[in-house]
Amino acid sequence: MDNAVIIKSSKHGITLILDESMEFEELKSLIKNKFEQSSKFFGEADMVLAFEGKKLDVSMQQEVLEIIGSVTSINVTCIVDEDEELDAKFNAAKDKKNASAASELFYKGTLRAGQILETESSVIVLGDVNPGGKIVSKGNVVVLGNLRGTVYAGAGGNENAFVVALDMNPMQIKIADTIARSSDSTFVKVMKKKKDKDIQPKIAYIYDANIYVEDLSQEVLEDIKID
Amino acid sequence: MSEVIVVTSGKGGVGKTTTTANIGTGLAKLGKKVVMIDTDTGLRNLDVVLGLENRIVYNLVDVVEGNCRIKQAMITDKRCPKLYLLPTAQTRDKSAITPEQMIKVIDEIKADPEEFDYIILDCPAGIEQGFQNAIAGADRALVVTTPEVSAIRDADRIVGLLDAHGLKDHEDLIVNRIRMDMVNRNEMMSIDDVNDILQLNVIGAVPDDESIVVATNKGQPCVGDDSMAGQAYMNICRRIIGEEVPFLDLNAKNGFFKKLSSLFGKK
Repeated sequence: MDNAVIIKSSKHGITLILDESMEFEELKSLIKNKFEQSSKFFGEADMVLAFEGKKLDVSMQQEVLEIIGSVTSINVTCIVDEDEELDAKFNAAKDKKNASAASELFYKGTLRAGQILETESSVIVLGDVNPGGKIVSKGNVVVLGNLRGTVYAGAGGNENAFVVALDMNPMQIKIADTIARSSDSTFVKVMKKKKDKDIQPKIAYIYDANIYVEDLSQEVLEDIKID
Repeated sequence: MSEVIVVTSGKGGVGKTTTTANIGTGLAKLGKKVVMIDTDTGLRNLDVVLGLENRIVYNLVDVVEGNCRIKQAMITDKRCPKLYLLPTAQTRDKSAITPEQMIKVIDEIKADPEEFDYIILDCPAGIEQGFQNAIAGADRALVVTTPEVSAIRDADRIVGLLDAHGLKDHEDLIVNRIRMDMVNRNEMMSIDDVNDILQLNVIGAVPDDESIVVATNKGQPCVGDDSMAGQAYMNICRRIIGEEVPFLDLNAKNGFFKKLSSLFGKK
């Protein structure tokens, strides 16, 4: 009786092995018990659920999902059949997802006037942000180039978000709900600055409800909080 | 195979049409067979700058609507027999042509048995339908800007759109109307300052030159004459056909230039 429902962890999640000889109604209560016992163990993990043993139709699978949802905090991302072909497909899909997540972190190229880069995560731009270009990120923004455009970091309200640029000449920086704009420097001043050639990487962050821009130093970095 | 080059800028009044007229004429003077297409429907100017306005019978919209054959609408230049102009309509607007129709026209010109070396498209200002029509069939873009922040901003926007259209790395920059005396006084951006933002291949810089005004009013492109602008345009043409040409020293005094151009003239 104890082995009528077995929870086995698999490569991408959990496999539920069900006794083929038992009725679905009986199995349901056993599944509920099993998951209640192990809900602490699983926590809030994202899991893929697979079934083995007794064949379940879609509505039965749905019922099992509801049971799992009611007794645990597991987030079942999808259901897979334990067969090789699907397994391969799933792996391919997972790899794809990782690849796109990676490319979201890095953006290569110059953001030109009128172009907007929006990301849910922090972002590193390998290139310049030109005047009229804009980055909106819920996390931090690092520009490995000349930042001349507009940046909005911590777009979800994160006041610990920061902006780093190798050459910091932004039009506007917004972090969480605080906004700062560039000084009204004339074009001649801007040209003079460039000719000085002492370009220092700079960081912008919020302190005391104001945005500060400072040279990137060890001390400043130590004060940075990353959530 | 003909190469299709669009001359574009975003902002108006920076010299797209003048550049198109001079480059078209210059390439023809270098022995290439060239057709220039004015895509600025409703505000055509290229015919005026070339002094060919009085010869227009049919235009691009007539071709697209099937009122005439392409050959009937093409005007042979009065100076260069290898140079042709396909004007557009003055009494219609940009919506009279679609990008698909534009591609069809270009494909038909490409298929011409007498084979054109270059098809040069004069793009209207803006980023709307007229721009979309002009870039639709292009293989390469010449982005024209002046050393002013507004022109550079618009050029930057245009480059973003050209990149998205698949012309990335096929864009060259022409910095027009540069005044070295002002650059030296730090009152105007230098070519480097301009390209610091745009980051394109600079295919040429054309100095601000009175002879352009004179030439435009006469309907006679100044390319190839001994004015500074004329030489700068000819150098751009040589670079387009793949020659390595050193950049003009725009700081040079006119006297030196006269000498230099007479040297070129002997070749």
